[in-house]
Amino acid sequence: MTPLLEVRGLARHYRVRRPGGLWGRTAVLKAVDGVSFAIGRGRTLGLVGESGCGKSTAARLALGLLPATSGDVLFDGQPLSTRQDAAWRASRRKLQLVFQDTLGALDRRLPIGLQIMEPLDIHGIGTRAERLEKTKDLFTAVGLLPHMFDRYPHELSGGQRQRVVLARALVAQPALIACDEPISALDVSIQAQVINLLHDLREQFGVAYLFISHDLRVVRQVSDEVAVMYLGRIVEQGTPDRLFRQPEHPYTRALVSAIPVATPNRARQRIILKGDPPSPVDVPAGCAFHPRCALAGPRCRVETPALRSMPGGHRVACHLAGETAAAA
Amino acid sequence: MTAIDPATSEVAIGAPRRPVRARWSRLIEAWPPLVMLAIAWIVLTLIVAVGADAIAPYDYSRMDLRARLAPPAFAGGVWTHFLGTDELGRDVFSRLVYSVRISLLIAFAATIMGAVVGTLLGLLAAHLRGFFEEAVLMLIDFQASMPFMIIALAVLAFLGNSLPLFIGLMGLHGWERYARISRGLAISASEQSYAGAIRQLGATPWRVYGRHILPNIASTLIVNITLSFPEIILLESGLSFLGLGVQPPLTSLGNMVGYGREYIELASWILLSPAAVIVLTTLSISLIGDWLRDRLDPTLR
Amino acid sequence: MMRYLAIRGLRAILTIAFVVTFAFFILRLSGDPALLILSPEAPPEAVEAFRKSWGLDRPLWEQYLRYFVAIFEGNLGRSMRDGRPALDLVMDRVPATLMLTLPAFALKLLIGVPAGIFAALRRNSFVDRLVIVCSVAGHSVPSFVLGLVLVLLFAVNLNWLPSGGADNWKHAILPVVTLGTAGAAIIARFTRSAMLEVLGQPYVRAALAKGVPWPSVVWRHALPNAAIPTVTIIGFMVGTLIAGAVVVESVFSWPGVGRMLVVGVANRDLAVVQCVLLLVAMCMVASNFTVDLLYGWIDPRLRAWATGASGH
Repeated sequence: MTPLLEVRGLARHYRVRRPGGLWGRTAVLKAVDGVSFAIGRGRTLGLVGESGCGKSTAARLALGLLPATSGDVLFDGQPLSTRQDAAWRASRRKLQLVFQDTLGALDRRLPIGLQIMEPLDIHGIGTRAERLEKTKDLFTAVGLLPHMFDRYPHELSGGQRQRVVLARALVAQPALIACDEPISALDVSIQAQVINLLHDLREQFGVAYLFISHDLRVVRQVSDEVAVMYLGRIVEQGTPDRLFRQPEHPYTRALVSAIPVATPNRARQRIILKGDPPSPVDVPAGCAFHPRCALAGPRCRVETPALRSMPGGHRVACHLAGETAAAA
Repeated sequence: MTAIDPATSEVAIGAPRRPVRARWSRLIEAWPPLVMLAIAWIVLTLIVAVGADAIAPYDYSRMDLRARLAPPAFAGGVWTHFLGTDELGRDVFSRLVYSVRISLLIAFAATIMGAVVGTLLGLLAAHLRGFFEEAVLMLIDFQASMPFMIIALAVLAFLGNSLPLFIGLMGLHGWERYARISRGLAISASEQSYAGAIRQLGATPWRVYGRHILPNIASTLIVNITLSFPEIILLESGLSFLGLGVQPPLTSLGNMVGYGREYIELASWILLSPAAVIVLTTLSISLIGDWLRDRLDPTLR
Repeated sequence: MMRYLAIRGLRAILTIAFVVTFAFFILRLSGDPALLILSPEAPPEAVEAFRKSWGLDRPLWEQYLRYFVAIFEGNLGRSMRDGRPALDLVMDRVPATLMLTLPAFALKLLIGVPAGIFAALRRNSFVDRLVIVCSVAGHSVPSFVLGLVLVLLFAVNLNWLPSGGADNWKHAILPVVTLGTAGAAIIARFTRSAMLEVLGQPYVRAALAKGVPWPSVVWRHALPNAAIPTVTIIGFMVGTLIAGAVVVESVFSWPGVGRMLVVGVANRDLAVVQCVLLLVAMCMVASNFTVDLLYGWIDPRLRAWATGASGH
C-alpha cells in the first residue's frame, strides 16, 4: 500500500552572501539536505530538533509550498508540483499547514466564522447554505462557542485562535495537516487541550499529521513515529517508545536527557551539549554533529554517516550506533 | 504634589452637572469641532465644484470693461460683484467658483491616478518579485530623489501643455509612496502571515489581493491619499501660478493668483480670495487626514 | 563604511544616469531634437551638421550613448533664444540662486531645530503648540501665497521693503524669509517628534534613574540620537528648497536659475531646461550623498561598521 505522503532525498539549498567585502563571496546554505520520510493515512510523524535545524523548511517542502532543490515528494503516489497554477491550488484542499503565529495567520479584518469557511469558498465545495452548516458544525467540534462566530481574531484568546486555525485547516477535509509548532506559543494548560483536540480530530476525521515541535514530551505523546533533525538531516528515526527509551544517536541522547522528569532524584545523567549548533552555511565535514559530540572518533570527522536501519525498523545516522550502546 | 488639580476640584463642586459635561467632552473628542469645520468646508467646495453653473452669477469669462477692478462689497464696492472684479471686469466670485471646479477636478483625478498606479505597481512588485520588483524600486528611488516640481517643469517644457497631459502629469506625483507602502505591506502579509496562510489554502491571487490584502491596507492608503491630495493642489496651483499649468481661457485657483499678482498694488482682492481658498482647502484635508489617521490606522499611532 | 559608501555612490551615479535617460527619451518624444535644440530658423546646413555631430542619423541606442558622452563633455546645447551655450547661461544665474537658498537653508535650521528641541522638552507648552500649528500651516500655505502676503504687507502697505528685483540686500529679505519659514516649521515638527521618541526610550529613562542630571541626559543621549532621523529630513529639504526657489524667484522677479527655468519652460527653450534638470539632479545627488556621509558620522552603528570592533 502506498503511503499518503512520501518524501525522498528532499533538499533545499539557498545561495547566501557572506558578510564583508563589497560583493561578498557567495555560499550555499543547506537548510534541508537529503531528507526522506513517509506518512501513512491517519498517522502522525513527529519532527524534532533545535530551532534552525530545517524542520519548518522540510514541512513546507513536503507540502509543496516551496520548490525543492532536489528530491521528490509523492502525495498519494503522485508527484506534487510546486508551480502555483490551478492544479497546485486544487491540491491545497488535501494538504494544510497550521502556523505557530495564529494572530498573524488570520485576517484581522474578517470575522473568524467566515475565515474558517474560506477553504470551502475557495474550492467551491457545496452550496453556500451547506458551507455555512458545515462550518458551524466544525465550529462546535473544535470547541468554540456558537456566539463567537462573528468575533474578530484579536477578540479571542491564543487557545481559541489556535482552534480557529485548526478548524480552517480541517474544514475542507484534508488528508494531511502539517502543524508547525502549533502549541509552543500557548500556556501549558491550553497546550494540553489543543493536544487532546488534535487527537480527537484524528480519530474523527482520519487526518494524518506532520507534527513539528522542539518540545519532545509533546512529540512523544502525539506521534506514531519520530524523526530527529540536525542541521538539515534526519539523524535518527523510530517509534517514540524506542527512540525515547533507548536513543542511539548521541544528539538524540542529549535531547532526551534534557527532558525534565517528574522524579528528579532518580539517577540520571544529563548530557550538556557544547556550544551552539554550527551555522548551516558552514556544516562541518564528516558527521555534522562531531564538533559537539563527546564520543566522536577520527572516522566521524571525515565520513558522513548514512541513515542505516537497525533491528525493529529503527534508523540512525551514526558510525558508533550499536557499538556505543554496548559500551554504555 | 500638594496643589489641587483644577479639573478634579471643579468636578467636585459641580458634581451634579458631571454627566452632561462628560457626554459633551466625549462627543467633542469623537468629533473635534475643528475637524467638523474642515469637513464642512470640503463639502462646501465640493458643492461649489459640482454646481458651479448654478452658483456662479456670471459667466467666468464675461468681461465688463466699465466695471474693471471694482473692489469687493465690504471694501466699498457693489453687491452685484461682491468679491470685486479683475483687470478685465470679470466677476471674481464667478471665476473663483469655476477655479474651484477645475482645481478640484485636477486634484481628484490626479490623486486617484497616483493611488491606483502606485498601489498597482507596488502590489505587482510584491507579487512578481525578481526583475520587475527591482525596476519598480529603482523608479521609486528616482522619483523620491528628484523634486517632482522640476520633473514636471521639464516634461511641460519638452512635451508642451494640454489639460489631459497636465492632469496625467499631476497623477504621477506621489505614486511612489503608494507603491512603497503597498509593496511593503503586501510582502509582510505574504511572508508567514495571513496572506501566506490564505495562499496555501489554495486561493487565487485575485482572492488573496482583492479580498484580503487590499482591504487590510486600505486604511493606510486612504491616510496617504489625505497626504497627497493637498500636495497635488499645491503643486497644481504653483504651476498654474507660474503660468505653466492650467492655461487660459480655463481658470484655476493658482492661475487666478498668478494673474492677480500683476495687480497686487491696485487690487489685492483678485489674488487674496483664491489664495484663501487654496489655504483653507489644503488645511482642511490635512486636518481630516490627521484625524483619520488616528481613527483608521492604529499601526501609525 | 567603504561598502556603505560604495553602495551609496553607486546609487548616486544611477540616479544621474536615470535623469539623463529621462531627458533623452522625453527629448526624443518631443519631436526633432535638431530643430528644437538649434532653433527653427537655423539654416538647413546647420541642422544637417547638428544631426551629424549628434549622430541623429544613427540607431537609437548609439544616439543614446552619444548623448551620454556629450553630456559628460559638458556639451549641453545652445539656448534657443540668444544662442549662447546653455551651461554658461545657467551658471551665470547660479550665484543669485545661492544668495537666496543658502540663507534660507540656514534660516530653516536655525529656527527649526532649536524650536523643535524646545517644543519636545516643554511638551504641551505654548511653544509646543505654536510649533504644531505653524507646521500644519507650513504644509498648507503655498510659498507663492506666503510671498505675496508678505509683499502686500511689507512692500505695498508698509512700504518698508521692495516687492521685487535684485538691486541690493534689501531685495533678498522677503524671498529668503518666504523660502525659509515654511521649511522651518516642518523641520521643527520633525525634530520635535524625533526628540520625543528618543526621550521615551528606556536608555534615557535609565540614565535619569541612575541620577545623571537632566541637561547632560539631553546633551549626551537625547540630542545625538534625535539627530539621526533629523539629518534625513534635512536632505529631503534640499529638494523642497530647489522647488521652492523656482516659485519664490518668480514671485519676487529674482534673476536666479529658478526664474530662468520658468521662462525656459514657457519659451520651450529645451537646452536651458535640460541643463537645469541635470544641475538639479547633481544637487540632489550631492545632498543625498552628504546626508549619507553625515549619517555615517553621526550614527555609531555605521561608524563601528567602518573601523571594525573598536570604536576609536
